[in-house]
Amino acid sequence: MTWLSLWSEPFMARALLATALSAVACACVGVLVVTMRLSFIGVCISHAAFAGALIGLHFGVSPLGSSMVASLLAAGVLGPLADRGNLSPDTAIGVVFSASIALAFLLLALLPGPKAEALSWLWGNVLTVSRENLWALAGVATAVVVLMAVFFKEIQAVIFDRELAAASGIPATAVFYAVLAFSGVTIAASLSAIGGLLVFSMVVNPAATAYQLTYSLRQLFLLSALLAVLAGWIGLALSALFNLPAGAMIVLVSTAMLLVAIVFSPKRRWSTATDGGKDV
Amino acid sequence: MSQYACEWRNVTVRFGKRTVLHTVTLGVRCGELVGLFGHNGAGKSTLLRTLLGLIPVQNGQVLVEGTPVGARQMSQIRRRIGYVPQVLNTDPRVPLTALDVVMTGLYAGIGIGRFPSRQNRESAQDALRKMQVLHLARQPFGVLSGGEQQRVLLARAIASAPRLLLMDEPTSSVDWQFVHELIWLIRQVHESGSLSTIVVSHDAPFLARLCDRVVLMESGRVLGEVSAEGLLDYLGRGWV
Ligand SMILES: Nc1ncnc2c1ncn2[C@@H]1O[C@H](COP(=O)(O)OP(=O)(O)OP(=O)(O)O)[C@@H](O)[C@H]1O
Ligand SMILES: [Mg+2]
Repeated sequence: MTWLSLWSEPFMARALLATALSAVACACVGVLVVTMRLSFIGVCISHAAFAGALIGLHFGVSPLGSSMVASLLAAGVLGPLADRGNLSPDTAIGVVFSASIALAFLLLALLPGPKAEALSWLWGNVLTVSRENLWALAGVATAVVVLMAVFFKEIQAVIFDRELAAASGIPATAVFYAVLAFSGVTIAASLSAIGGLLVFSMVVNPAATAYQLTYSLRQLFLLSALLAVLAGWIGLALSALFNLPAGAMIVLVSTAMLLVAIVFSPKRRWSTATDGGKDV
Repeated sequence: MSQYACEWRNVTVRFGKRTVLHTVTLGVRCGELVGLFGHNGAGKSTLLRTLLGLIPVQNGQVLVEGTPVGARQMSQIRRRIGYVPQVLNTDPRVPLTALDVVMTGLYAGIGIGRFPSRQNRESAQDALRKMQVLHLARQPFGVLSGGEQQRVLLARAIASAPRLLLMDEPTSSVDWQFVHELIWLIRQVHESGSLSTIVVSHDAPFLARLCDRVVLMESGRVLGEVSAEGLLDYLGRGWV
């Protein structure tokens, strides 16, 4: 099979679609996670989702479903902890993070037979995404895009300052928890394509890249979605060309984009010029 | 309708074991411009924030235009209040322009699922113009100076034409010239609407020139109140 004929294969079309859907959903959620400074919560949720998938495999239920439940649970635990001032969120996140990794490894060890399927949830494989999972991705991506458009105002106000948003009559707490829940669902739906180890960079890299380039929230959403799809497809092409793992290539391409954006960021120059005395 | 724009009845607030407000009773009549003066940690910000339902009250009752805070219509109460916070928890790279920030003050009134109208945008620009920062409308909020940010936040608070205006240290980072302008601006905003205004400040001359009366607070208690001239006299007699 030549490299070109590969692209006409149905599994490749499906991989391109899965990559694009997951890229758009992750990028939109990523904008929220990055601008609300919840990155570590994202890391935690993605590992909880991985542990959840293994629980599903272990007990013979759908890994997609169980990873959704696990990531929602993690979001539900971390939300109130990050919310309250009395316990440092860093500590809470560290505890949940290592607990879910430990649980995942324990389940991995307990799983009978070959571990290939279990490990595929760790690395992900965009070429073998199931039909069920593709539908889930389509649903999640649509829901995320629609919600961002409908609640754009409220999201913008909460990003600016959550308490001030609440004080003006916006349901800021509901927006905050919806963001956490959607991070969880998006990460879980992307897990089988991208893998538990890498999905977090799908969430954060495009948004962080776009964040270097614009001060407009609308552009931030559009640009991150665009960059994410671009990174996804370039990564996929490179992986097909050189026969390398797709998830890894996608993440490396988006990391390269981020590095380029940081080097050429107009914001960086701006901030070094004006933020001299300010604590950044 | 209540003659009070807002009212505290025997309000006690505790954080853990610490009592931060001790059975505070205070009323601000409709149309009044009241100053709130006191040491750091006296409980001034906490008192303001109880009006917004941002702080749970252990005892007593807080009322806004006769409606108890904490009741179900909290969002309606909040929409009637313009609030300038003492501190913000905002990233310097936050993806909002000055105009966006002012617009966020209108969003709750516009309602979920609706888009801001041209009229909304015009009231936001109007508010920026009043605070003399219209030329900064398209600048990212995070790169503005402290005083410029404060003006934008003041614009945000008045843009929604509130009935109750709460300002927590509005002069903390504006220059002396703008303090003078601010006195004039706040008076103008205050008198042009049927507005009731509470201003928290450490700046006694500012409060004395601005307010009808000034409430003195210390260690979570209302000590009493003085007229504008009375405040400077009082300070002369050895406050601090
Ligand atoms: N969320 C909180 N948790 C615990 N203690 C708090 C909290 N908020 C305020 N306090 C305490 O309540 C007291 C009053 O605080 P407040 O901010 O109301 O004072 P203030 O009069 O506004 O002071 P300043 O002039 O410094 O702004 C302070 O001692 C503060 O430590
Ligand atoms: Mg204060």
